Amino acid sequence: MDGRENQVSIELQESVEAEAEAGPGPVPALFKLITSNEVAGFDSIIQESETAVSSNSINICQPNGHQRKLSISISMPSSPTGASSAGTKNVLDVEGNGNGFIDSSSADAPSKAKPKGVKFLSQPMPKGSVFGEAANVRNINQHPNIKKFKDKRFNSFKTWSGKLERQITNLRGRQSESESEEDSVRNSEREALPVDRYFDALEGPELETLRASEEIVLPDDKTWPFLLRYPISSFGICLGVSSQAVMWKALATATATKFLHISLTVNLILWWISIALVAAVSSTYLTKVILYFEAVRREYYHPIRVNFFFAPWISLLFLALGLPPSVATTLPVALWYVLMTPFLFLELKIYGQWMSGGQRRLSKVANPTNHLSVVGNFVGALLGASMGLKEGPIFFFAVGMAHYTVLFVTLYQRLPTNETLPKDLHPVFFLFVAAPSVASMAWANIQGSFDYGSRIAYFIALFLYFSLAVRVNFFRGFKFSLAWWAYTFPMTGAAIATMRYSSAVTNVVTQTLSVILSVAATLTVTALLVTTIYHAFVLRDLFPNDIAIAISDRKPKPQNKWFNLIRHGSSDHDIETFLKFANSDSKDIEAALKIPTADATRV
Amino acid sequence: MAFTIRSMASLRPEPQIVPVNTPQASRITTPVQSSLSTIFPRRVKHSISSILTKFHAGYFRISLSLGGQALLWKTLIGPTHDKSTLRHVVRMFHPTAFLVLWSFALFILILLSLLYILRCFFYFKMVKAEFLHHVGVNYLFAPWISWFLLLQSAPFVAPNTTSYLVLWWFFAVPVVALDVKIYGQWFTKGKKFLSTVANPTSQISVIGNLVGAQAAASMGWKEIAVCLFSLGMVHYLVLLVTLYQRFSGSDRLPAMLRPVFFLFFAAPSVASLAWESITGAFDIASKMLFFLSLFLFTSLVCRPALFKRSMRRFSVAWWAYSFPLTILALASTEYAEEVKGSIPHLLMFLLLALSVLVSLGLTVFTLLNTRMLLPDNDPISGLRHLPTVSP
Repeated sequence: MDGRENQVSIELQESVEAEAEAGPGPVPALFKLITSNEVAGFDSIIQESETAVSSNSINICQPNGHQRKLSISISMPSSPTGASSAGTKNVLDVEGNGNGFIDSSSADAPSKAKPKGVKFLSQPMPKGSVFGEAANVRNINQHPNIKKFKDKRFNSFKTWSGKLERQITNLRGRQSESESEEDSVRNSEREALPVDRYFDALEGPELETLRASEEIVLPDDKTWPFLLRYPISSFGICLGVSSQAVMWKALATATATKFLHISLTVNLILWWISIALVAAVSSTYLTKVILYFEAVRREYYHPIRVNFFFAPWISLLFLALGLPPSVATTLPVALWYVLMTPFLFLELKIYGQWMSGGQRRLSKVANPTNHLSVVGNFVGALLGASMGLKEGPIFFFAVGMAHYTVLFVTLYQRLPTNETLPKDLHPVFFLFVAAPSVASMAWANIQGSFDYGSRIAYFIALFLYFSLAVRVNFFRGFKFSLAWWAYTFPMTGAAIATMRYSSAVTNVVTQTLSVILSVAATLTVTALLVTTIYHAFVLRDLFPNDIAIAISDRKPKPQNKWFNLIRHGSSDHDIETFLKFANSDSKDIEAALKIPTADATRV
Repeated sequence: MAFTIRSMASLRPEPQIVPVNTPQASRITTPVQSSLSTIFPRRVKHSISSILTKFHAGYFRISLSLGGQALLWKTLIGPTHDKSTLRHVVRMFHPTAFLVLWSFALFILILLSLLYILRCFFYFKMVKAEFLHHVGVNYLFAPWISWFLLLQSAPFVAPNTTSYLVLWWFFAVPVVALDVKIYGQWFTKGKKFLSTVANPTSQISVIGNLVGAQAAASMGWKEIAVCLFSLGMVHYLVLLVTLYQRFSGSDRLPAMLRPVFFLFFAAPSVASLAWESITGAFDIASKMLFFLSLFLFTSLVCRPALFKRSMRRFSVAWWAYSFPLTILALASTEYAEEVKGSIPHLLMFLLLALSVLVSLGLTVFTLLNTRMLLPDNDPISGLRHLPTVSP
């Protein structure tokens, strides 16, 4: 406690000096050092008892990635949409400042004053800013036992801005809050975020980390509701485990690996585990769709996460492929149609966007995760052909082949207009191996034998696998995420394809290769399992705050460079103009100058 | 005339434009002989020259569609292994009706070709400007494709006759010459790189090769057919990737030309048919191409918003809808014949009905609105409006 207060006081000193430099005034008198608990209606995280996770909640004085320094010296929010989140941080960091400042600005309730009191030098607040109203409401919900569910700050992400919840609570007969606050929460995020915002605001191979200059619309220091933190990339676990079930089935039944005498029980166990996982993940995500539809929408518009929407269907296809013989030997053909129809609709939408959607054209959004959209075609073709269907598998194979060619060329080109390819290697690159290996198996099933077409595809897959495997040193130093499970299924797929190949061309080399690849896949999955358990139970950050979906729809102007509290006498126009061009990001300047041929310069 | 001079002056401010106009101008500048006998030819000349200036190769879309329809019906009433009721019903299309259709298509094509030849004579500069435009150049293939289609659907010229052969060569040579010029430019000439000129109409060049391959294969000339087929397919692959990537977005194509997006599924359908002619049966490669075409068709049909702006006013670009639909229907006919079953035949029926309805509708619409057929602000004829790739 003391250390923290000292830290605060030091920061106060700095701000006091800055203020003293900037102009006269009895500034030091404004500041009084108190703890946050003494302020009525103060949103104090310490009272939160349910957060099982995160160091974030305790170290409120730790500077986070963005905008922390700013919040000490000026209690002005740096952007309207970030108003309350910055405001929240302000109040938490500079506890004394909060009280003094509030007293000086208005006589209103402390929480209400925070965003409203700051009018000078900032952009006008957008109408219906969620947090303006949310702050009004906050003073009601300070009871420590209030569920996070009722936290109004997350309303914009809830389905119909929380109206659905109110329906549910009304049905349950509980007292609901007055309607006026809810109605005044107008969703500023109703229209789709343009894909440029995702690229501007996020970085990293999975577009997960927030850039330093960006803000998010949800409070960063608080642990969000579990459902909001549950990304669609969790379906990657289903993908990884179900493909393992298929691999162990192949190991037990393929002629080339019969010498290992692997029993089918492994397949059975893994299959039941995958069923359980798929059921659990799907039901959780379905609940998220029902309750937090806006968050799901934002994931859909995320250029990388959109591909994970194919993952549930691919997992189901793998489950059908890995069906243990003891459970059932044949599946009804109608099941294939049932599984592929939603897949078809989804790919009509996504591929159509590649072809004709202005913002989401392929040259702009292409990234290795797009392989997930294409691989499903081949998996469906494989399943259909193994069920005995003829035309349907060929249909999906043809569509998958055409789009895979386009995607492959685009990714290999590494166009300068493409921003999402990670410069260093990242496990996502293993997805390159997925499509050719599954395509080779699908073609073998369609044709009836592992012929030349299959072999060509298989060798391409093998080459890509080895070129990545020898660079395994470069796969270090990345932050673990659940999406990594999705990147294990290509290794499993390559192992299965090798077994298929060695059944056609049986010799020591191919058999050894099958064993080696299977072992590699199993080891990777085991390592990943250990890491997941470690993160889940020891570090407890398996589901961190999902920053990627909470980006604001406007780029915040960097006022942190400019401590001009006093200079608000000069014209607002100058200030606004300065703010526009003070941004170091060149793209923003281009946007401000409205260069129409931005694309032409990039090409 | 002022319109002509203005439009041509904007393309190339050269003094030698003026001599082209003098034959007409000299007649106009004699108002002394204002008798009826001179006013009438003057009016006719005026209207013809205004037609010629507004005319461009894009009008061959009409003959493309009609030729496609003729080929479709020739295939439908021809001999087949298909024993379904649908095919049986369709075969009742009277041969005389087909002859009328084919003659109508021939008439339109001859008319359009004559107009274009006249335009080449009198307004060669405009034709040259078309050739240099990234959309206009692709439509220079359209007349030859129409002639190929009519040749293949001709009721009296059998594929193994000399006249067929001679005509084939007559149509194929310009196609290959255009190929060499345009494809060569794609990767050698600085300002005409594929990345800068690629647009959906570039697929017409691919279709040209493939239709030529199909016509050659029906003659029995397998090697030439395979040669043209491979030429077409290789460039189709490159074009598909480039178009899917869409470097610079949809600003390469004016909104009025959005119907040409239908060409995305025309090319694989023609490829499927060409491969079938080459191999003799609708095998797996043809099936895959047909399925790709079907998928792209569904994908476009599910996005009506893409075409909304172009549907506001009637223009000859609307004819771009008809040929791809007809070719897709034809491919589905071949598919249904190969893969017997109720679903393929249902698909065939739907696509047939759609293509016939669209073609009929367009014909009726055009006949009713002939005035709107030659507008003042057509994207290709009004070349000064478009961002052209400078020569």
